[in-house]
Amino acid sequence: MADPDSVAELMARCALRDERAFAQLYRHTAGKLFAVALRILRRQDWAEEVLQESFVNIWNHVNEYAAQKSAPMTWMTAIVRNRALDWLRRPNVERGGEDYDLLVEAVADDAPGPEAQLGSSREAKALAKCLEQLSGDQRQSIALAYVHGLSHAELAVHMREPLGTVKTWIRRGLEKLRGCLQGAPV
Amino acid sequence: MKYPNDDLREALAAEYALGTLQGRARRRFERSLKEEPALRRLVVAWQERLTPLNEGIAPVQPPARVWRSIEQRIRKTSRRGASIWDSLGFWRTASFVASAAVVLLAVILTTGTPTSKPHDTMVAVLSDEQSNPAITVSWQADPRGAERLRVRVMGHAEMAPDTAWELWMLPGGDQKPISLGLITTHENQTVVLPRPLAVKINQASGLAMSVEPKGGSPTGVPTGPILYKGLCTMM
Repeated sequence: MADPDSVAELMARCALRDERAFAQLYRHTAGKLFAVALRILRRQDWAEEVLQESFVNIWNHVNEYAAQKSAPMTWMTAIVRNRALDWLRRPNVERGGEDYDLLVEAVADDAPGPEAQLGSSREAKALAKCLEQLSGDQRQSIALAYVHGLSHAELAVHMREPLGTVKTWIRRGLEKLRGCLQGAPV
Repeated sequence: MKYPNDDLREALAAEYALGTLQGRARRRFERSLKEEPALRRLVVAWQERLTPLNEGIAPVQPPARVWRSIEQRIRKTSRRGASIWDSLGFWRTASFVASAAVVLLAVILTTGTPTSKPHDTMVAVLSDEQSNPAITVSWQADPRGAERLRVRVMGHAEMAPDTAWELWMLPGGDQKPISLGLITTHENQTVVLPRPLAVKINQASGLAMSVEPKGGSPTGVPTGPILYKGLCTMM
């Protein structure tokens, strides 16, 4: 993975409309961001489209980045995730049928759960520790929603529980997570 | 649109960052995000909390056609060329758009200062991406050096808390921007230049202003977004 400082520097140069820096930024980050889009969209052609739109967006809005005060990868990942989610929730697009079965398989393959895929950074360790304090259902629904972009309704189908129950898991889980992460020593 | 209740704001920010806020609620929330920096901060905090969930995802290289399309699309909207300096052509266009402002400024300058002007005046009109002029910087193009820059900030500029505005000189060629110091949001201000810069400023091809952490860029080059930039013009 690209080192965050060099990514930040590349972004500063992009703000000066330096296209070479933008090409470098793409080389450093596109692999990761494409994987994020693929996880959510599960279709190569859609993920390509979303990645393309996201990078055009990144180029056009790189000036607004610093005001966000977030890590560069967090900012870019949020752009890709939002694009991917918007893409999925266009009125005429549905990840149903075969795709949905693929999803169930993909998710089953992830056992013991996407949270186990957390990396080794300090933030990842803190998050893993706090996720452990949630109930299994809360943990799984949050991880599936984040990594695979599942909606409340899709989660309800996948976890075979009423919609209301799933919504409560997510809400309570997020509340607990915040309490835990804020209380954790930095 | 305001969400009055703190718990509700926090919950919506969390579900927005997670991706489970959908449909009309999501669009309504996005409209509020545009207007409320405090709400944006809640979302960013949540994005930071959840982002480690991506750490374990192995990168997948996208096919080369993706980059080719991106490149084509950004070239359509921006100027050709590969570096900052190549984009000076764009600046020239932008400065024509801003030329009305330059003329106006010239009037202000010549009437505002007694005409003891032995030298030409250099002016840079710093504009945003849409070519709206925001800051003007002017100085006497004295070959022995310009001691001070006059800086005018137009309109009601707002600086985000714990940030600073840093002024940069773009020397041209492939050289890095050089810091000219921090400025404030005051309408009229003066920046005093140290000796070597006072001479160098006459060779500046352009000036830019970036948003930096309090105290200015820690690295000596712009680290934040360039809000405004413009070419130097001799009046």
